[in-house]
Amino acid sequence: MNASAANLGELTYTRIYHATPDVLFRCMTEPEHLTHFWGPTGVSTPIANITIDARPGGAFETIMVNDADGAEYPMRAVFVEVVAPERLVFTEPDVEGGMTTSITFVDLGDGRTEVRTHQTNVPEMFRSPEAQAGMQTSFDRLEAYASAL
Amino acid sequence: MAEDQLSRTFAALADPTRRAILARLADGEATVNELAAPFDMSLQAVSKHLKVLEQAGLITRGRDAQYRPCRLDAAALQPAADWIERHRHLWVARFDQLEQHLQALQRPPHQPVADQPVADQPRHKERPS
Repeated sequence: MNASAANLGELTYTRIYHATPDVLFRCMTEPEHLTHFWGPTGVSTPIANITIDARPGGAFETIMVNDADGAEYPMRAVFVEVVAPERLVFTEPDVEGGMTTSITFVDLGDGRTEVRTHQTNVPEMFRSPEAQAGMQTSFDRLEAYASAL
Repeated sequence: MAEDQLSRTFAALADPTRRAILARLADGEATVNELAAPFDMSLQAVSKHLKVLEQAGLITRGRDAQYRPCRLDAAALQPAADWIERHRHLWVARFDQLEQHLQALQRPPHQPVADQPVADQPRHKERPS
């Protein structure tokens, strides 16, 4: 897993799985799969708490539950783009800071698939095209600075 | 830091001009004139950006009435960096678990992977740190 804060407000993860794009796409879009991996260690995502309407404008909602104390962590997202088995994009408008997640499934042709996940965390970043265009440039130095704090 | 303060920080960071200003200030303090030099915009427009950055706590300005040099307040970036780090951990954990889930799916070797019912395997988990 390569995970890097390419700059403040953006995250990119790239990971290669020994599975086809179709299987991985289904893992991400079918509750009976998602329930097995959506919560991190110590947190479960009961299948009853998962809503996936995989089409643009459709709901993507989960409630993760802390195994230790029952605390609930809801996620309310809306699909922006659904292209099986290649690409999934969803936004979480009411997360603190906001977030858009794009997941791309790249068939490596040998039974493996590269899953690229790209997230932008700042609401204004996905509302404003010029903000998106400008993200890469001046932020690199700031990130280098911030990471040295 | 309160969530609305975090929102202000992210909102301030969302603008490319303001990020460029912060990047410049990472090299050291500067006056409004110095900050405005690389941009094709009025001093007033730059001052407006500086005000947003100041309200977000990302910069402080000197008391010298004439120059009021701007300084990056690096500590204000930390909550934003912490928030991003929390999300990074969540997704790394998620992708780790996806790998385990795929292994569970693929365990019986001669059946088509995608059509298999998913076994409900117990997960021994620890409380998150």
